[in-house]
Amino acid sequence: MFGSDLLQVVLSGIALGGTYTLLALGMFVTYAASRAMNFGQGDFLAVAAFLGMAAMTIGISGAVAFVGVCAAVAALAMAVERIAIRPLERRGDGESLNVGWILTTLGFGLMLQNVITIVWGKSRYYSPPLFTSKNLAPLHVFGAALQVDELIVAAVSLAAVAGFYFALNRTNWGRNLAAVSFDPATASLLGIDVRRTITIAYAIMGAATAAGGVLVGPLGTVQSHMGPLFLVKSFSVVAVGGLVNPLGVLIAGFGFGVVEALSNFFDSTFGDLYPFLIVFGCLIVWPTGLFKKRLSDVR
Amino acid sequence: MSANFAAPWIRYVIFALVVAVFPTLAPNAYVINLGQEVAILAIGAAGLNLLLGLSGQISLGQVGFFALAAYCTAILSARLSWPLWLTFPAALVVAGLAGLVMGLVALRARTHFLAMATLAFGLIAAILAQRWISLTGGSMGIAGVPLLNWGQFRAGPTNFFWTIGAALILTQIVSDFTIESRSGRILRSIKESESFAATVGVNAPLWRVGVFVLSAVLAGLSGAFFPHQSGFVSSDAFTLDRSLSLLIVVIVGGLGSRYGHLIGAVFVVLLGEAIAGLYEYANFIFGGLLLAVMLFLPRGIASLTTIVRRRGEGSAEGRLESRSRGRLPSTLAPIADWEPGEPILLLDGVTKRYAGVTAVNDVSMVVKSGTVHALIGPNGAGKSSLINVIAGLTYADRGSIIFAERDVTRASAYRRARLGIARTFQNLQLIGGLSVLENVMLGLPRRDKAVAYFLRWLGGRSFEAEQRNQAFALLEFFGIGRYAALSPDELPYGHRKLVELARALAQQPRLILLDEPVAGLNEEEAVEIVQAVRSLRALGVTAVLVEHDMGFVMSLSDRITVLDYGRKIADGSPEEIRRDQSVINAYLGVPAS
Repeated sequence: MFGSDLLQVVLSGIALGGTYTLLALGMFVTYAASRAMNFGQGDFLAVAAFLGMAAMTIGISGAVAFVGVCAAVAALAMAVERIAIRPLERRGDGESLNVGWILTTLGFGLMLQNVITIVWGKSRYYSPPLFTSKNLAPLHVFGAALQVDELIVAAVSLAAVAGFYFALNRTNWGRNLAAVSFDPATASLLGIDVRRTITIAYAIMGAATAAGGVLVGPLGTVQSHMGPLFLVKSFSVVAVGGLVNPLGVLIAGFGFGVVEALSNFFDSTFGDLYPFLIVFGCLIVWPTGLFKKRLSDVR
Repeated sequence: MSANFAAPWIRYVIFALVVAVFPTLAPNAYVINLGQEVAILAIGAAGLNLLLGLSGQISLGQVGFFALAAYCTAILSARLSWPLWLTFPAALVVAGLAGLVMGLVALRARTHFLAMATLAFGLIAAILAQRWISLTGGSMGIAGVPLLNWGQFRAGPTNFFWTIGAALILTQIVSDFTIESRSGRILRSIKESESFAATVGVNAPLWRVGVFVLSAVLAGLSGAFFPHQSGFVSSDAFTLDRSLSLLIVVIVGGLGSRYGHLIGAVFVVLLGEAIAGLYEYANFIFGGLLLAVMLFLPRGIASLTTIVRRRGEGSAEGRLESRSRGRLPSTLAPIADWEPGEPILLLDGVTKRYAGVTAVNDVSMVVKSGTVHALIGPNGAGKSSLINVIAGLTYADRGSIIFAERDVTRASAYRRARLGIARTFQNLQLIGGLSVLENVMLGLPRRDKAVAYFLRWLGGRSFEAEQRNQAFALLEFFGIGRYAALSPDELPYGHRKLVELARALAQQPRLILLDEPVAGLNEEEAVEIVQAVRSLRALGVTAVLVEHDMGFVMSLSDRITVLDYGRKIADGSPEEIRRDQSVINAYLGVPAS
């Protein structure tokens, strides 16, 4: 393996890892807000990838498509919270399952997946490149041929992640989220609109997932059943990074993408499965993830 | 429930008759095939029902066990020409081993993390089936798998149905026994409160892994039949949808109920046939079904057919004579094998730290047999921490704990419970999904041999009658026999405390740890508890109690240990403690000089 190949592989790993990070941050934020997540999130990504493809195919510019799809999927995410998660919270009897939301969001995802197959079928599609109107000549850096689109995807996902951290640490909503995550009852006594905080968290999850979907679509193929694999990979990221530490999610997300790109490079048949082995290994040694919550839980 | 009118074995005779005549009543091969589909689905779903419905562990990866077993028997029989009576056990062993691994994962990963891990397992299994072409044939599959038809081609579908029908009956027996026997109570208690389970001597991790293995074996059993139905198996059969369809079956049928997986399987297969023309919308319909049932009918179809009545209870309690405040039968007397006045519990230099806080600091104390020993101290003194360290819910960082001449410092909570340490909790730990009587029955020690127990269950009638009577006698001892059939959640707070005491006494303890037994009770209820504790002492039980109510402590205790900021500051009789200056300072503060 030459140094130039390595650079190429690492770049596509970062581009992929950006998607995982975006999904994982969506999981982080919804879990913090509602102690639940969207198990149909992978299908949200698939919907976004198809919508992005459709928009660009009819000639809408990449940037407009990106924003539009993010907004649409954010609305969808608010709907999933309202329909599939919120109604279960009120049911407080001891018999009810604490995993009900897993099943309802899975059901929602299954329905979305079906909507995709009704419109587009089960075939694989190649999405047009997002930002470069024609296939630009690859950029040559240190002898490596870097795809401009991959560069842009990596950059945009980094920017989205930066925006996410800004929202988390520098906005009122971010502070409210920290309070709601610690204890919703206390948060509401402090005058925080808990419902609103949760709704915004789901909207952000939807937008982040959509960003991942629109960005990753043109890098590979787009297919109706692509969701679950992305979901599981992002779960792995969350499991290693810890569901309580956004910085850990960032490191694990890009790390997972790079490791996957490398192992794909060496073994094209099973390459994308090796990172799972590494994740399982990590979890056996550090079951709560590599990155701890900053506050220790005293109870 | 109709099942209560008949002994279990009668149910299975009827079940067997239905399976036997179904092929002759079926108008054509197509209907027989539907019966086969129902059986394949129901066997796999039965395992998931026990896993999710009883123990509360979720699995989105049942397709993995299904696929492992299917490929195992297909490859061994088609490529290596093994006979089916060898390939089936091999397939079950493989599925069971995979279940063991996932069960161990489940000990560390709970709820959504477990959902993630099992989802990953199922997905990876599906991907391997697709891509490991040299082994599985990928989507081209393995052809020429021997049919399970007992050598008769024309009667093949009927023979296959009878075979899988027999497997379904066996599955139903295993499932019913698990739900209706002591194991069902144990799994339900683990689902709601593992500390409760440990307190009554249940090795919760073992049970959690065990039920995972069982569910994997049942998923594997259903998968093992699969390739022998058509003689062909390909990776197309092993997608995530199969995991989801099992989930839909158990949710729609009714989670944790005895026939939920059967009802669900029939429903899902028939619905699948009814919407065959809408094939393109199948996932939409099934996804919507999952969502709708979880939202509007969380206990599934089974809850519609059941007249509202407590699970499998009711009739038995009715027959028990109700006396108010009974005597304790001698068979239930606690083990009083320790010479009164001899030390039974010795703590030496016990220290417990939580994230920078030293909750218990170098505490040594001696508890003498047959006494009521109180632990008091201001809020945050470390009393509850010390109780938890003695019970084994957390371990001491330093020091040693000797109970009945055994070093139990490192022993887990369930082992200490089996050695004779029972406890009650400050925030009550009772299992809402079980009746009061069943909660107490969980405390009773197991006396039967497994086979005899199983046969008695199969025979019905007097099954567990003795245990029921004993548990009822214990409730009567505390004067709450009339609540036997209710859920603990329906009881007033004070009576729930008494249920906890009855459950603890059922364990025939040598030592009972009482964590704030009268906190939150009114005068009248507190008096009942005082009487209860006195009668425990009269029975020879040693008690260690934590309490804030000084009147209660002073009137009841033989000896008092006072903690402050995790340290022992005094130890003596109630009179000595009342006069002790350091105790007075701890409670009232030191006057500024």
